[in-house]
Amino acid sequence: MMPRRRARKWLRLGRRIASHAVLIVAVVFALFPVYFIVITSFSKIPIAAITAQVLVPKVSQLTLGSYQQALSGQYPAFTSLLENSLIFAGSAAAIGMGLAAFTGFALSKFNFPGRRSLVYFILIISLFPSFLLIIPYYFMFAKLGLIDTYPGLIIPYSAGAVVFAGILVKNYMDSIPDDIEEAALMDGLSRTGAFFRVLLPLCYPVLGLAAFLAFVGPYTDYALAHVFITSSAKETLALNLYNIATTDTGASNYGVVTAFAIVMSLPIVVFYMAFQRYIIGGLTLGAVRG
Amino acid sequence: MTGVRLENISKQFKDSTALEDVSFAVKDGEFVVILGASGSGKSTILRIIAGLEVQTRGHVYIGDMLVDEYEPRDRNIAMVFQSYALYPHLRVYDNIAFALRVRKVPREDDPDRYRRRTREEIDDRVRRAADLLGIGDTLTKKPAELSGGQRQRVALARAIVRDPELFLLDEPLSNLDAKIRSSARLELKRIHEQLKQTFVFVTHDQSEAMTLADRLVVIDHGHLLQFDTPENVLSRPANQFVASFVGSPEMMFLEGRIRAANGGFAFELDPVRISVRGARAPGPVTVGFRPWDLTVAKTAGPGAFPAVVRGIERLGSSDLLFLELQGSGAPGAPAMSGVTVRAMSRAYEYEVGDSAGVTLAPDRALFFGADGDRLDELEGAPAGP
Amino acid sequence: MADLRDHSVGFRFRREWPAYIYLIPTVVVLLFLNAYPIAYTIYISMTDFGTGGRGSLLNYHYIGLTNYYTAFHSGLPTTLTLLENSLFWAGGSVVLFLAVGLGLATVLNQEIRGRAVYRTLILLPWAMPAFITILVWSNMWQYDYGIINEVLATVGIKPVAWLVHADTAWTALFVTNLWLSFPFYTVVFLATMQAIPKDLYEAASIDGAGSFSRFRRITLPYLAPTIIFVGLMGFLFTFNNFYPIYLITSGGPGISTQIFITESYNKAFGSVGASPQLSTAALYSVLDFVIIVAITVVVIWRTDLTRNWLK
Repeated sequence: MMPRRRARKWLRLGRRIASHAVLIVAVVFALFPVYFIVITSFSKIPIAAITAQVLVPKVSQLTLGSYQQALSGQYPAFTSLLENSLIFAGSAAAIGMGLAAFTGFALSKFNFPGRRSLVYFILIISLFPSFLLIIPYYFMFAKLGLIDTYPGLIIPYSAGAVVFAGILVKNYMDSIPDDIEEAALMDGLSRTGAFFRVLLPLCYPVLGLAAFLAFVGPYTDYALAHVFITSSAKETLALNLYNIATTDTGASNYGVVTAFAIVMSLPIVVFYMAFQRYIIGGLTLGAVRG
Repeated sequence: MTGVRLENISKQFKDSTALEDVSFAVKDGEFVVILGASGSGKSTILRIIAGLEVQTRGHVYIGDMLVDEYEPRDRNIAMVFQSYALYPHLRVYDNIAFALRVRKVPREDDPDRYRRRTREEIDDRVRRAADLLGIGDTLTKKPAELSGGQRQRVALARAIVRDPELFLLDEPLSNLDAKIRSSARLELKRIHEQLKQTFVFVTHDQSEAMTLADRLVVIDHGHLLQFDTPENVLSRPANQFVASFVGSPEMMFLEGRIRAANGGFAFELDPVRISVRGARAPGPVTVGFRPWDLTVAKTAGPGAFPAVVRGIERLGSSDLLFLELQGSGAPGAPAMSGVTVRAMSRAYEYEVGDSAGVTLAPDRALFFGADGDRLDELEGAPAGP
Repeated sequence: MADLRDHSVGFRFRREWPAYIYLIPTVVVLLFLNAYPIAYTIYISMTDFGTGGRGSLLNYHYIGLTNYYTAFHSGLPTTLTLLENSLFWAGGSVVLFLAVGLGLATVLNQEIRGRAVYRTLILLPWAMPAFITILVWSNMWQYDYGIINEVLATVGIKPVAWLVHADTAWTALFVTNLWLSFPFYTVVFLATMQAIPKDLYEAASIDGAGSFSRFRRITLPYLAPTIIFVGLMGFLFTFNNFYPIYLITSGGPGISTQIFITESYNKAFGSVGASPQLSTAALYSVLDFVIIVAITVVVIWRTDLTRNWLK
């Protein structure tokens, strides 16, 4: 009796140690690149080039120089890059959300001839990879004279947002019981009134999530912007980051690249971490419910 | 303050018929309960009155107004949903005030023009409704923070505050715990008496229906079976379905025949024999009775079913005996063996396995024809000597 | 007199027609920015647009299925390589995601000290925009100054020319991709596992089931719909995950890590100076789409995923 219990105790201890070991390995794997980015961005530029020395930095070697260089940097100015990124991503998020809200409402709460086919159609369309649309877009937009214009990018970005956000909103609206809308009809509203005063406010969380995702896409888009933007006046943060990261100057600009990367991703990271539970829930609505 | 009239309402869904030629009229200020099993069409009636569904055929009148073409919002009806359907994003106060803010009222100086209600008007009415239901202390909470009973009250307050022509209630008590359900029932009755407005209430719970209703609509498979006071539905059910659906403990049925006897007619189910007034021809009938219509004796005298006690359910004040009838053995008599009836009796006199005699009170028996409808003209009387 | 008019038809129209108005903008988007471009892509794939020869930017002709014929005859080795790479890239990644995600979720699902901290730290990479971190990763894999080689050097391993050989290039891609995605899979599986009623496990323990058999008989069946759904989504996403390959290996060495989508982009907009081979690019797009739709249809058809998507 006794030895067996002791054996079980050791087994349990071993299991606990193994579990922590696995998790520590996972955390190190997850955090190492993050750590590397942060440390490099604060290192003096010549030292940043010899990367191994960066890993355990001395306080005297830390500097904000890379940030200074990234922000005050070269042509085009950081403010111009930021402005362009905000215009493109912000418009796409706003337009995409407006349309997605109506789409989700119509597909979820209405029962009209053709509803099912339209849902199928949207799902199939959403399978077509957005990167592959760049080729036809290029020719369509060239004919319309929209290359290197603000609408030329905002239109495709918004179009991409409508499709996935529409599905997201529809799924969410499906989970709102019909009698909530019916109660609003009894209370004296038309269907449109019920949408604006009851259903839409209930959808704010999912619309926020969809808007955020619709923002991050264009904000970090390179593939489409690379093709559609030809003048540096419309260059975005993402394009500029690509340019400085791939400029062949050895490793001497690692500090600037990482500093730029941190500045650019910080708002996104904060948002993700603040709403992580919610974002994961929204993205897997279909999966976990299954 | 108005009544409602349904005229030959039929409702077809894609591949089913929900209602078939349903007509009834609710009087002003009346509390009418629509009673039916789930899927009977009872909620569809309510939704048609509300305008959430529209009938395939027939007409709906609210007061004297034909409202077939009216949207729900133009009918001035309040509805309490089974799920309560409170707006989850609004505080209780705003839930109750919602309809007041949405609906405009005629202007005092010019009744053809409309104005929004003032903040004071709304506040006054919300607080009065909340006080009536005793939820004054929950006004700043969100629905998710409330108990089931509180939510139900908020749903009711949301309806009352509007001072509508008509209240529709779709099983508003079915989501409550058994404990508070009966007190909520009484409270609903009190509110109705206080408001003196027209209530149409849907339920599948017959005891709820009996307590609340001024009049009762019994519905099954889309057909209106009976529309009458609870007393009449209980004592004079329109047919076998109503008889077995309403009243507790349930009605029992035995099949027998009406034969000519002594210049009149009598119901015979050997060895029982009951004179029947009002019968005009012999034929098969079904007799219906409830446990309290039976008398149990230690021995089966003449005209009593011989039976064996198979079970006893102790209810307290009176007990329920489960009695298995024994065939009389007479040739040509219906095979009664194995049929179990329930009777109210002082059970302590009996034990399982005892034999007994069961007598049916003749004037309590109800007679049903072959189609299930009750034969209203038939009336039982003690058999002649 | 019974009323014979059916009231519900007009009513239903009145109540449902606003849907069409709400959907107009979206339908316009779907038609002009999705359906038409897709059709246009298919059309371009049947022209000699930029294939050299007669076709040029301004003057191209419909040549039917000639390009497809070429792709499956003289161009077959390239097409097969791209197909193989695309499937390997997507399939391999998903297997990694699911294995690591399930494994870590199982470990995290125990009563273990610091669980919330581990969970938060593991989730951090997922919060960073992929495009940005992939750029940083591409620097980390560099031969000369890349941090990975530098770290390996500290434990005495010689620098590896990661992006020069096909095997090591794939390794770099899979490791990067795993880093990008494992947090999401771990957290999703963990959330699903935590939704499994505890008494199922207690009942199984009473019946004498060990921890492995509990995992196999309870956890796995419970997770199955989630695994299939996230697995399919992960496959579809990775099949067309452009940036890791474009930014880290550019499909190299040669085309040994090239997939349909990156090759399509390269052919269309790739190298400065080189004339764009648009019909070939379009053709790879079409093949990519056909494969994706086929896989989706098969998976949805063989499982009951439809329930989640369509009411």
